[in-house]
Amino acid sequence: MDRRIFTRLAALAGIAGLGLAWNTPTQAQEFGSPELIAAAKAEGKLVFYTANFAEVEQQVIKAFNKRFPEIKVEMVRAPGGQLITRVKTEAAAGKLIADVVDHSDRALMLPLADMFQDYAPPNAADYNPEAQISPKLWPRATLVWSIAYNTELVKDPPKSWMDLTKPQYDKMTGQVFAQSGGTTWTRIMFERQVLGEDYWAKQASTHPILYPSGAPMSDSLVRGEVAMGPLLYNAIYPKQKDGAPIKIFFPPEGAPVNPYASGIPKTAAHPNAAKLFLNWCLSKEGQTFMIKELGNLTSLKVPPVYPEGFDPKIVKVWYPKFDDYVKLHASWVADWDKTYGYRQ
Amino acid sequence: MWSVLWVTLLLAILGFLVIYPVLMLLLGALTDTNPVVDGLSLSHLSIANFLTVLANPNVAEALLNTMIACGGGTLIAVAIGLLFSWIVVRTNTPFKGFIAAASILPLFAPPLVAGVAWAILGSPKTGLINTMFKWIGLDWRVDLYSLSGLVFVFGIYYAPYVYMFTSSALRNMDPSLEEAAEISGASAFATLFSVTFPLIMPAIVSGMLLSFIVMLGIYGIPAVLGAPTNLAVLTTYIFKLTNWSPPLYNTAAAVAIILMLVTGALVFLQQKVLSGRSYTTVAGKAFRPRNLDLGRWRWFTFALGIVYLLVVVVLPSLALIVAAFRKFMFIRDAASLFDMRQYSLMHFNSIFDNPLTLRSIYNAVEVGVITAVVGGALAFAIGYTIHRTQLTGRRWIDLISTVPVAIPGLVVGVAYLWAWIGIPGGLYGTIWILALAFIARFMPDTVKALSTSFLQIHRELEEAAWVCGKGMFGTIRTIVLPLARPGVIASMTLLFVLAIRELGSSLFLYTSNTMVMSVLLLDYYEGGNLGKTAAFSIVQTILLGVLIGGANWLSRGAAQGSVARTG
Repeated sequence: MDRRIFTRLAALAGIAGLGLAWNTPTQAQEFGSPELIAAAKAEGKLVFYTANFAEVEQQVIKAFNKRFPEIKVEMVRAPGGQLITRVKTEAAAGKLIADVVDHSDRALMLPLADMFQDYAPPNAADYNPEAQISPKLWPRATLVWSIAYNTELVKDPPKSWMDLTKPQYDKMTGQVFAQSGGTTWTRIMFERQVLGEDYWAKQASTHPILYPSGAPMSDSLVRGEVAMGPLLYNAIYPKQKDGAPIKIFFPPEGAPVNPYASGIPKTAAHPNAAKLFLNWCLSKEGQTFMIKELGNLTSLKVPPVYPEGFDPKIVKVWYPKFDDYVKLHASWVADWDKTYGYRQ
Repeated sequence: MWSVLWVTLLLAILGFLVIYPVLMLLLGALTDTNPVVDGLSLSHLSIANFLTVLANPNVAEALLNTMIACGGGTLIAVAIGLLFSWIVVRTNTPFKGFIAAASILPLFAPPLVAGVAWAILGSPKTGLINTMFKWIGLDWRVDLYSLSGLVFVFGIYYAPYVYMFTSSALRNMDPSLEEAAEISGASAFATLFSVTFPLIMPAIVSGMLLSFIVMLGIYGIPAVLGAPTNLAVLTTYIFKLTNWSPPLYNTAAAVAIILMLVTGALVFLQQKVLSGRSYTTVAGKAFRPRNLDLGRWRWFTFALGIVYLLVVVVLPSLALIVAAFRKFMFIRDAASLFDMRQYSLMHFNSIFDNPLTLRSIYNAVEVGVITAVVGGALAFAIGYTIHRTQLTGRRWIDLISTVPVAIPGLVVGVAYLWAWIGIPGGLYGTIWILALAFIARFMPDTVKALSTSFLQIHRELEEAAWVCGKGMFGTIRTIVLPLARPGVIASMTLLFVLAIRELGSSLFLYTSNTMVMSVLLLDYYEGGNLGKTAAFSIVQTILLGVLIGGANWLSRGAAQGSVARTG
C-alpha cells in the first residue's frame, strides 16, 4: 500500500469515525451542559422569529431535530421591516412570544439590544468579533454575496463585479434594490467603497431590473427574466443544487458578507431550549450544515468548510464597518435610489 | 329598555371591531410613533406624514397609476361582464350554462395567484404567449409588465364580478319593455342600448363601482406585474413602505387614509348616482325572461364564449399547472414546453413535506369556520336591526358596519395589532384575533349579502307570528331564520372563502401556532419558489372550489358577492 492510498484510507476512516460519533452523548456536550440539555428537553419547545425564508429555516429546524428530536421549534417568519415592528410591538405590550429573534439587519437590532439576555455559545471564542454588534447578539447565519447567471442565456459570462457594468450586458442584469434590508445594504456599500464611487452609475447604465428581494430575483434568473446579477449565495445555491441552469461564482474583488444578529429575549418563556437551539446553530456542526446545505458562509474564524467554488485564497470576504453601516445608510440609499431610478 | 341595551351592545361590538382600530390607524398617520411602543399620546399630533406623502411625486404617480389601472380595468370588466351576462341570460347560445358556470372560476383564485399566472403567460421575455407566438412564426409580442398589462389583467380577472351583478339584473327584468321597443320598430341592437342596458343601469353602476373599489385594494396582481418595471400603485406602495428597512408604518398609514378617502368618495358617488331615481322593473306579475333567438349568430356568440373561457379561465389555469408540475420554469421554446421529462411532482412533494403546509390548511379552515359562524351571527343581528326594526341608532349601525370596505387590508392588519395586542386575556397569539379581524374586515360584504334576503321576506309573515303570540326571538327563530336560510348559508360561505383567502390583515396577526394558508402562500412566493407557489395555489383553489361548490349546492347559488375583495 503506498502512502497516498494509506492517507486516503485514513481520511476515510476518520470521516467514518465522525459519522459514528454523530449520536454519541459525549458529542452532545458540544451544544451545552447536560443540565441545559435536560432543561431544554423539559421545556420541549421554543418559538423562533426569523427574517430569513421560512423554507430555508425549516431545513435548519429539521437538522436540529435530528440531534434533539424532543424540542419542537415553532417559527414565525416575516420580512425584516415587518419582523422588527412585530417584535417591538409585542415587547411593548408585554406579549413577546419569541424565544429567539433572528434578524438580517444588525442596525435595526442594535437599539433593541437591551431587550435581550446575556448569552454566549460554548464556542464563543471561535467567532470573528467583526461579526458582532453586541455581546448578546450572535451571527447565527452569515450570508455571502455571489454573482449568478443563467447558462442557457449567457454564453460569455461575467467573471467579476466590474464585468456587470459592461455595455454588452445591457438589459440583462438584475439587482435587489438598496432599501430592501441589511444584506443588500452591505452589498451596495461594498460596491461604492471597494469597487469605486462611480460603480453604481456604471452598473445602472446597463438598465438592470430591480427586485424587492433576492428570492424573486433568483426565481427570475432561473426563468430567464434576467440573465445575471448579484445574488446572495444562499438564495440561488439551492436552485443550482436542484439542477436549474445556473452557474454561480465568487468574484475576485471580494465577497461582501452580512452576519445576522440573533439573541434570546429576556422574556423568553423557553430560555433553555432557545439556548440549546442557538448553541447548535452556532456550533461547528450547525454552521457546517448551513454552509453545505443552504449555501451560507460562517463567521467562525476558521470556517469548517467553504461553499462550493469559494476559494479563500482568491476570494476575500468583506465585512462592512459597523459604524459606516449605521451612519451612511440613509444618505447612501437615497443616492442609490437616484442613480438606479428607484422611486420611493 | 331592552332595545336601548341591544343597540348599545351592537354599537359597542362595532366600536371594538371597527372604530377603535380605525382610530389607531388615524393616530398612526398623525404621529411618527408606534402607539403600543411609545404609548398612546396625543402630544405629537401633526399632519407631517400627510404633507410628506402629498409632496412626494411618487405617491402622486402611484395614485395616477392606480386610477388608470382601476379605471381601465373597470371598463374592460364591465364590457366583458355585460356582454357575457347578456349572452348567457338573454340569448339561445349553445352550452351557455356551461359557459356561465366556468366563468366564475377565476374568483376562487387569490389575486396573488392570478398575478403569478398572468406573469407566466405574459412576461415580455419569457411569457408562454410569446413563446407560442414565436413557435407559430408570428412576430407578435405581449408585455403584461406594464400599465396596459395591469389594465388588461384587472379587467379579465374582475369581469366575472361584473357578470354576477348584471346577470341577475338581466334575469329579473321584465322583457315586455324590450318587446315594446321592438314593436315600435327599434332594431335588436338599438333595443339593447336604448332599453335593456339603461334599465339595468343600477346593477351596471354598482358592479362598476364595486369592481373599481375592489381593484383599488388589490395587492397581489400589481405586486407581481408591476415589480419588474418598478410600476407602483397605492397598495404596492403601502406594502413597500412597511417592508423597507427601516419600515415606515406611519407614512403607510397616511397613504392608506388617502386610499380610504378615494374609496369613501366613490361609495358616496354610487349612492348619489342611484338615489332619487326609480329603476323598478320587477313588477308583481309573473314573467319569464325571454331568450333572443340569434339564429346562426348564436354560433358566433358561442365562439365568443369559448374565447372568453379560454382567456379568463383556461390560459391562467394552464399556466399554473405548468408552473406547478415543471421542475424549472426556464422554457427555451415550445418544444421544451412539451418535453415531459421536465415535469414532476417535485413541488407538491416538497410542499407536503413541509409541516407548515398541513398546519396552515388546518388553521385556515379553523379560522374560516369561526369567522363564518360568529361573523354570520353578528351580520344577522346587524342586518335584522337595520332592516327589520325601527330602533333609534340603527342608521349609525349601518354606517359603521360599512366603514371597513374602504380600509386596505395590509394596513388594517397593523391597526388591529396596535389596537388589540394590549387587551388582557391573551387574544394575541390565538386564532381568535385573526377571526375577529376578518369578521370586522368583511362585515360590509356579509351584511350586504344578508340584507337581500331580509328584504325579500315580507313583513306580514312576521306580523302573523306576532299576532299568534310569538315574541320577537320566537318570530326570528320560527319565521325569519328558516326563510332567510339560503341567504345566511351563502353569507357564511362567503365569509369562509374571504377568510381563507385574506392575506393583508393576517400578516401581522398570525403567530407560530396560527400560520394560515394565505401567509404561507405569500411566503412561498416571496421565497422565490414559483413552482411551490403554483402548486400550493392549486391546492388552495381546489379546496375553495370544493367548498364553494358544496355550499352553492346547499344554498342554491345565492350571493357569492365579493369573493374577489381580498388581496
